[in-house]
Amino acid sequence: MTLTDPHPPKAPSGPDGVLARLLDHPARGSRTALVAVPALALLGALVVGGVLMAIEGVAPLSAYGEVVRGVFGRSRGLSDTAVVATPLILLALGITVAYRARVFTIGAEGQYLAGALAGTAFATAAPLRALPAAVLLPCALVVAVLTGAAWSGLTGWLQSRFGASVVITSLLLNYVAAAALAWAVRVGIRDPGAFTPQSRPVAGLPDLPGTEIHLGFLFALAAVPALAVVLRRTRFGFRVEVLGASPEVLAVNESRPAATRLTVLAVAGAFAGLAGFVEVAGVTERMTPAFATGYGFTAIIVALLGRLRPVGVLVAALVLAGLTVGFDEAERVFVIPSATVGVIQALIIVFFVAGDALSRRKAG
Amino acid sequence: MHTLFTLATLAAAIRLAVPVAVAALGEVLTERSGVLNLGLEGTMLFGALAGYTGARLGGPWLGLLAGLGAGAACGAVLALLMVVVRADQIVTGLAFTLFAVSATTYLFELSYTIGEPPPRIESLSMVPLVAIVLAVLVGVWFLLTRTVAGLVLTAAGDAPGAADALGYRVARVRSAATVVGCALGGLAGAMLVCGPLGLFVQNVTAGRGWVALALVVFARWRPGRAVAGALLFGLCDAAQLRLQGTATAIPYEVFLALPYLVTLVALMVRARRSDTPAALAIPFVRGRST
Repeated sequence: MTLTDPHPPKAPSGPDGVLARLLDHPARGSRTALVAVPALALLGALVVGGVLMAIEGVAPLSAYGEVVRGVFGRSRGLSDTAVVATPLILLALGITVAYRARVFTIGAEGQYLAGALAGTAFATAAPLRALPAAVLLPCALVVAVLTGAAWSGLTGWLQSRFGASVVITSLLLNYVAAAALAWAVRVGIRDPGAFTPQSRPVAGLPDLPGTEIHLGFLFALAAVPALAVVLRRTRFGFRVEVLGASPEVLAVNESRPAATRLTVLAVAGAFAGLAGFVEVAGVTERMTPAFATGYGFTAIIVALLGRLRPVGVLVAALVLAGLTVGFDEAERVFVIPSATVGVIQALIIVFFVAGDALSRRKAG
Repeated sequence: MHTLFTLATLAAAIRLAVPVAVAALGEVLTERSGVLNLGLEGTMLFGALAGYTGARLGGPWLGLLAGLGAGAACGAVLALLMVVVRADQIVTGLAFTLFAVSATTYLFELSYTIGEPPPRIESLSMVPLVAIVLAVLVGVWFLLTRTVAGLVLTAAGDAPGAADALGYRVARVRSAATVVGCALGGLAGAMLVCGPLGLFVQNVTAGRGWVALALVVFARWRPGRAVAGALLFGLCDAAQLRLQGTATAIPYEVFLALPYLVTLVALMVRARRSDTPAALAIPFVRGRST
């Protein structure tokens, strides 16, 4: 997330200099600021949230106490948090890959819907749904991943072929996916026995032994170190970094930036598609018109707060999921507008963006 | 299809195009100065809420004024972040829009109980709204093509280093363009709710700010073409609303997606020969940028 440098490095001051310059992106600045800025942004947002609740006549400290109790103080609090965090982690990991390469897609929501739809359509199709879940679910997951990748790859193709900005095209495709969802549950994959528009049920993902957390959380947990290794140790990870730092360098050295951009977008879409079907098979069990809940946008906050690092994403997703779960509980006790937690989450990202720019400016 | 192209559809098209056109005109100004404002959708939302509140207090004209003011305030915040502090423009704009969605929902929930229908406001007729669009169009066009200020603004977006060397403060020009552009965005939001809609609901803009952003690219940063693009979008949207009511063989969801698909196709046709401001989305640092 460094500022775009209009001058790609031309005369290297020694190869190490160039590499260091390329690779300290995107989290330039001190190690302290790396963690301190997101933490302070969280704190600031919680303070403002507290003031808002105080204006509403709710004692902020007891409300936050209830939020904490909602997560840690009951048996289901932590497992609920893990379940809510699962799609956020997967979506934000995909966004991480894209944003590290400075490919700013905001189409995660649409890719998530497209993946979930395709996976559900596959798993509920007439001849297939008789298959045992152990065979059907992995196949449906693959279908969802491929659909997400294709939905996202489309924006990469539109950019390389027509020069259309990924930011805009990915967003427009979200609306197309939303329309597809509306049609599919009303007509396309509708459960004929259901009174309201919804798909047939999908065989559920098993819970992790001894918990009420579905298997998808394990996928998300496993994806974190896997992606960290891929980004750090592989040729693809290196290309992502170089594309983000300077597409020109990539172009003169080894590969076409457009091809890397397409791959990056496909990977982001694959994660989103996976997240979508995992959510169906693990949580909702059916597709309904209410399936689109804006996770694809919250995940952007998660990825940025996590400093576009897989481990950071994991932490940020758990924190935001904990806030959501905790506030759900707190709303049972206090009269808090349901949009409060959304405001706090959005304030975190606004404070973070401002704080990040300020700390970068001080660092020079 | 003969029911499609009636006067009623055309009127609906103009009605739906009005807010998009004004927002796109504002964004043309902002982007010509080198600032990419992805916070436009959020600015429109704040403008819509301010417009609704203003109209409740003192009639639709006060609503429009409130929208304009709220938009300018959003512009000041965005200019501070994107131009003065030089935060990444794409990330800042995105964050601002995400914030606006939650914040307007919160403020609205605060003032009106859920479950009760929010009171309707007295709405303006189409004539003054269209007049405002034309006035804004002429104003933006005149500013950009017939005044020194417009030339400086375009220079800040195309060759900020040169503008700086001539003694113009690029940061000030860009901040001003962001504030004015966002003021128009806020006005657009207010025109949406103070027009025939007469209501504020959660996320009332429903992506119109994003469509306006796409239209600016489609219009190659020209004000006249931006308004023409908005009309095209309005026509698709009107066709969708019209066909939803009639029983056709085509599912109505196709028409839900149609305005966005048409915008996508328009980008495919238009984006290639690009007149993009050379320094768009690149922050200006004195002595380092050209």
